Amino acid sequence: MQTIKIALLCTPVLVALGCASYPDQPTTRNIAEKMVSEAYPGMPPVLVKRSGQDRSQQICSKIGEMTLSQQEAAEVAQAARTSMQYPASGKLMGNWKVGAKLAYDGGGSRIRGGKVEKRKENGASCSNCHLLDPREVNAGNVGPSLAGYGAQRGNSEAIAKYTYEKIYDAWAYFPCSNMPRMGHSGHLTPEQISHVVAYLVDPQSPVNKK
Amino acid sequence: MLKLRGGIAAIAFICLSGSGHAADPLAVGRQMLAEDNPGDLWVLRGEKLFHEKRGPKQASLEKCDFGLGPGKVEGAYAQLPRYFSDTDKVQDLESRLLTCMVELQGFKREDIVKNRFGNLDRMSDMEALVSFIGSKSNGLKMSVSLSQQKEYDMYKAGEYIFYRRNGPLDFSCATCHTENGKRIRLQDLPNMTDPRQMQAVVATAWPAYRGTQSTVRTMQHRLFDCNWQMRLPDLGYASDMSVALTTYLNRSGNGGVIDLPGVRR
Repeated sequence: MQTIKIALLCTPVLVALGCASYPDQPTTRNIAEKMVSEAYPGMPPVLVKRSGQDRSQQICSKIGEMTLSQQEAAEVAQAARTSMQYPASGKLMGNWKVGAKLAYDGGGSRIRGGKVEKRKENGASCSNCHLLDPREVNAGNVGPSLAGYGAQRGNSEAIAKYTYEKIYDAWAYFPCSNMPRMGHSGHLTPEQISHVVAYLVDPQSPVNKK
Repeated sequence: MLKLRGGIAAIAFICLSGSGHAADPLAVGRQMLAEDNPGDLWVLRGEKLFHEKRGPKQASLEKCDFGLGPGKVEGAYAQLPRYFSDTDKVQDLESRLLTCMVELQGFKREDIVKNRFGNLDRMSDMEALVSFIGSKSNGLKMSVSLSQQKEYDMYKAGEYIFYRRNGPLDFSCATCHTENGKRIRLQDLPNMTDPRQMQAVVATAWPAYRGTQSTVRTMQHRLFDCNWQMRLPDLGYASDMSVALTTYLNRSGNGGVIDLPGVRR
């Protein structure tokens, strides 16, 4: 009875205030997705497409402390496995010197004024987030240090394959990790990735020199 | 003995300050800029522009309502973004200025948008106005409140977008801004889920004078630039998505004492 009384008293107030409160999850998603779809006026549709999400990106967009379920992790890993492609030559270890250039090149594929920057190829952006050559000062730390990567692991076929796949689509091993799916998205070609692999594992690479 | 103690203290002081600089080698330059902030020139220019009769309607911005009444700029920035009934929208400072410049002064929206970001050849009126109005909240705490339904919606949408991964590099804001002590190359990345760090962020950005760009930049520019780095298309100026992110982030920094414009790399 008491509850009903309170409810009766409060209802007009709440209606006047519009019962303002946080929207629930599905409502939030609808509102936010509409905003994203309208966030790029005048941009070519082919570029706006980049702001869409594939299934794995959707799964990997957990808010705050929400965690990935085992099922979701398996789905993301499976999608990554399926997407894996290798260089036509079958060679997973390319030229470390070419890889070195790519590793420190953070450009490529950026958009300004509705146009993609003109470039021969995209950089691999590794050093934005990883320490590679231990002598390099200007390296990020969003990802783990890779200094001595090959010195610690060797340069066997198995290591080269793991490293290649880790760059092509890291989510095959670590679903939803921060590491971009470089090959999956086409940001890097399989050949480019093989050069980065060489830069990481080749004993002659500065990554593996003390 | 006293001398010796003084000597030890001096050595300890040198060591401490030395290690401080080693952790942040740019600290000295940053402090010098903060003491003699070029952004103050943008504040002065913005103040002049604010009171000047301009545009096809030859009106000043003195009748523009930033949420505290027409022409009242003191403390206005500290409460933005907020809901405005005349536009039925939640607006940040820039989208609100855009509304007033179009409605009160008669400027064309597309002209303002075209000139939103200044460069060495052409100054942006928007960057100056934002500097002036931002500085009018100096000494006050950031205090973005949610009461209207659209404000709640904006905040939650901003949070959702903060964690939303997209683009060829699978980035979201959260990729770079949810852990402590992270850097892209040498650039420090604040952990935006930590209220303390967010308070420090909103205190001095944005607007802030950017040394590498020789101009004051605004929050809209910061978000535009993040989108560029994420390989996404040009973020629409004053778009709802930009206002949603700003609502989420400014509110996360509630309590930070405002000191604008700041200074950034």
